[in-house]
Amino acid sequence: MEDLILELKQEIIAALNLEEMSPEDIDAEAPLFGDGLGLDSIDALEIIVLLEKKYGIKLSSASEGKAIFTSIRAIAEYVSQNRKK
Amino acid sequence: MDDIAITGMGAVCSIGNCCYEMLKTMHADLFGIRDNEHFSSEFQDLPAGILDVSDSNLKLISHVEGEQVSRTQLMAQWALREALETGYVHAQKACSDRTLKVVLVNGTTVGGMDLTEQEFSQLRQGEGNADCMLTHDCGATTEAIARHFGNTFSEWVTVSTACSSGANAIALGAELLRSGRADIVVAGGTEALTRFHMSGFNSLMILDHAPCRPFDKNRAGLNLGEGAAYVVMERDELAWKISGKMAAFGNCVQISAYLSGYGNACDAFHQTATSDNGEGPFLAMTEALQMAGLKAEDISYVNAHGTGTPNNDLCESVALRRVFGEKMPPVSSTKGYTGHATSAAGAIETIISLLALQHDFIPMNRGWKEPGEGLVCPAMDCHSFASLEHVMCNSFGFGGNDTSLIFSKKPTAASGQDHPDTDNGICELARVEISDTAQLSDVSEFVKPMEARRMSRLMKAAVLSSMRALKEAGVDTPDAIITATAYGAIELSERLLNQLCDGETLKPTWFMQSTHNTIAGELAIRTRCHGYNITYSQGDRSLQWAMDDARQLIRQGKCRTVLVECHDETTPLFRQLMERVGRPCQEEEVKSLAIVLSCGKSSL
Repeated sequence: MEDLILELKQEIIAALNLEEMSPEDIDAEAPLFGDGLGLDSIDALEIIVLLEKKYGIKLSSASEGKAIFTSIRAIAEYVSQNRKK
Repeated sequence: MDDIAITGMGAVCSIGNCCYEMLKTMHADLFGIRDNEHFSSEFQDLPAGILDVSDSNLKLISHVEGEQVSRTQLMAQWALREALETGYVHAQKACSDRTLKVVLVNGTTVGGMDLTEQEFSQLRQGEGNADCMLTHDCGATTEAIARHFGNTFSEWVTVSTACSSGANAIALGAELLRSGRADIVVAGGTEALTRFHMSGFNSLMILDHAPCRPFDKNRAGLNLGEGAAYVVMERDELAWKISGKMAAFGNCVQISAYLSGYGNACDAFHQTATSDNGEGPFLAMTEALQMAGLKAEDISYVNAHGTGTPNNDLCESVALRRVFGEKMPPVSSTKGYTGHATSAAGAIETIISLLALQHDFIPMNRGWKEPGEGLVCPAMDCHSFASLEHVMCNSFGFGGNDTSLIFSKKPTAASGQDHPDTDNGICELARVEISDTAQLSDVSEFVKPMEARRMSRLMKAAVLSSMRALKEAGVDTPDAIITATAYGAIELSERLLNQLCDGETLKPTWFMQSTHNTIAGELAIRTRCHGYNITYSQGDRSLQWAMDDARQLIRQGKCRTVLVECHDETTPLFRQLMERVGRPCQEEEVKSLAIVLSCGKSSL
């Protein structure tokens, strides 16, 4: 799980172009949207695209994504249960 | 102020190959949303409002067999021919003096993208037929459309404000007539479905996988559509004068309605979403009512933007309630018939509004079943005949570009008033130019890193030059923002085309910044400017059009300060392709100019 968390952090930093951040800067338990990392609805779409491309997970709506993406750890748990690749 | 008469109309879209056919289709309660398989197999599960005529048949209709012509252009030519014939523009030219200035105002966003995307996998390898580059950009597409009609048009211009382009073209056309810059205007919009924007909208997850359900509780997004539509507009007195002359030829100009009001406002909230209180739509509708000299209760029917996305329909309902209160007129979205034809939507819905006005019926809101919290309950009877006097037509676009038009059977009282023309000299408060990519990191002076991270190179240049110019001018919030660009976001378009060729999902961040008007939208958000907001894309004439518009706004006393900017960029591939077709483009990777104009009064 910890490897997956690190991988997700790296992927998200690249996909969202969080240039000045390194994986250590992101708390795996912290909220991603609003407070915490401060991501928004466009970032949620980017993470949805990322999950499909990297893990073969297809989400059907942006709101479904936002419900899952509460923290990096939550995404990691979802990925490990639902990944197709 | 002159009354603006509408003397001709033409349209092609998924529900008809002419205006009359559209009327028949709606009265028969048939619709144009179809399975997508004959557009492209990759979008099989996404229904769309496709014009049921192949490219080769469109070419036959336009007599252009064998040539490389974009579908956007072919549809426009077909719709324009109908508009010109019903508007007797040809006859007018023949029987009246040749000094009449006929201007084409065209709204489009994808331009010739349908051809470019077909060729791109070859083009990127230095192969294929690069001729499509000649009509790739919006301005060149409009020019090709205008030239198809010989000497009919003395001038042409493209308005590119995404999904409100068609409506803004019609409003701009009226301004050109009122300021004497045109005698007859043909205005509207055209947009062909492309894999490019189909994939882009799909990556934003706002497409319904079933036929769309605007204003319904369970609505799940929009269906894209395609088509073209135009109206012929004249100053009322000229229309009657020409009518008198033409009577001798056994013809007469038919005035189908008047454009009595229009409002252009910016939501200044988000690139792709509307604000919760629907500020931009509210301001656009209010301004249109004010110009028409009408009260909210005078409106007999509202043709809503109503795309079917959860966000648009809720925010539009909020704005409608703010404008109309308890006296809500019948409201419907007709996108359940046509799909959302993006840049053509405002023009197609103008035709539907005019048909409703002429034939006294209220188009129904196809696809609606269940009322939802906060949403207006739309008109649902497809044979609802009512006497209509004034129809409002809403169009909202990415970038927060919101426009509302009002059509009336007779000229309205307020149309007789003139704008106060101010004689004060117009002065330039600031001018900033950026032409070196090394300067772009300076954008951090105005933009937080979390915001800058997703800005394209062109966007950074535009924000940097504009914010510096505004700072130098001592202006926090300009009264209007006018952008000019020949090619728009070339770097992002190229990246997205590469993704399309490689079968990847398009990157949402890139797609939402790829329309020409996102720069003006971003600047409006940064400066909290809800005022007039428009983007011109007419090759090297773009800046001239933008400056003329700005000066006109100041001269009329509508604005005291206007931000005018012009931005373009290039990439190695784009430069190489343009050289192949003998149209060398700018040397600089990025070039951005921002000017702040003012009425010169000291009390800014």
